[in-house]
Amino acid sequence: MSSAPRVVMTAAIAVCSLCGLAAAGDSVAVATGRPLASAVEVRIGAVLASNSGKEFDQRLASMQRQFHTLFAYSSYRLVKEQRQQVAWGEKVGFDIPGGRYVVVIPKEFKDNRVLMKVMVIEGSRPIVDTALSLRDHATFLVGGPREDNGVIILSIGADTVN
Amino acid sequence: MTCREATNLLPLFFDGELDARQMRAVALHSARCESCERDLRHLEHVQELISDTIDSAADDIDLENLWPAVERRLSSTREPWWSRLRAWWSDGEHVWITRLPAFAAAAVIAALVFLLFAHTPPLSTPPAAPQLAAVDNATSIESLVTDVDSVAVLNDPETRTTVLWVNDPGPGDAP
Repeated sequence: MSSAPRVVMTAAIAVCSLCGLAAAGDSVAVATGRPLASAVEVRIGAVLASNSGKEFDQRLASMQRQFHTLFAYSSYRLVKEQRQQVAWGEKVGFDIPGGRYVVVIPKEFKDNRVLMKVMVIEGSRPIVDTALSLRDHATFLVGGPREDNGVIILSIGADTVN
Repeated sequence: MTCREATNLLPLFFDGELDARQMRAVALHSARCESCERDLRHLEHVQELISDTIDSAADDIDLENLWPAVERRLSSTREPWWSRLRAWWSDGEHVWITRLPAFAAAAVIAALVFLLFAHTPPLSTPPAAPQLAAVDNATSIESLVTDVDSVAVLNDPETRTTVLWVNDPGPGDAP
């Protein structure tokens, strides 16, 4: 082979190597579990689901399919909603009807998943104390606590902030 | 849900073939019903036995001659392109005379690419968080502690949504 094609080939290989090195930097950051997002916005919504009436709160439109597939209630009303940006390891507190309290503590961001601790407390009784991971921008539901002839369904989500 | 209904659904429940609503109903029923809970444990036991049998049968398979056979087949295959490329790379009398200008050219191209991306203006508005139905909401639960009688974890494959359903004692039943 003449020297000109070899030079072109060598240049191509060198560019690929440089790109590989740049990509490797990101991979190392992900592999070490270092949070790539500086903070996280926690979304918590409290929905009262019941069989009294046939109301569907339009603020819940993005979740309509989930509610109708998963549950058999006729009415869904958003009773409270909160969005709060926090640093990793900080907690978000949220009062829900029935004297209950929700605490969410985002722990870290790893493999595009947000690891968090979620607690639902009634008085001194932990109804739920769980550690879970969900994808960035995803939403997780906790349902069951009874209230006003219905149940409370909590939607808990997280959006990382760079 | 009655025991009779639950019993018919237990095998499907065990295999995860029920829809979310039925999963929840069976889970709640079996949490309260000793007989159905026992049937469920029986199904688990049967599956463990089957798994153990398959595992032990797999352990008995002799894989000693597998790798020599693979090696024989590998030796008859054509040399891959990267090996040929490596051979070409180390071949010849050039070395740094041809490689040095190539690396210089590569560095210039890399610098240009970097500058191009560095000066690309950011999007005017950040993309809004996708709606619930459009994202994968499947949640992995690492640990769970609860003070209530029963808890069911539901994964709806249709909407890829995970629900932690707490059977908090109170008047009436969950729908």
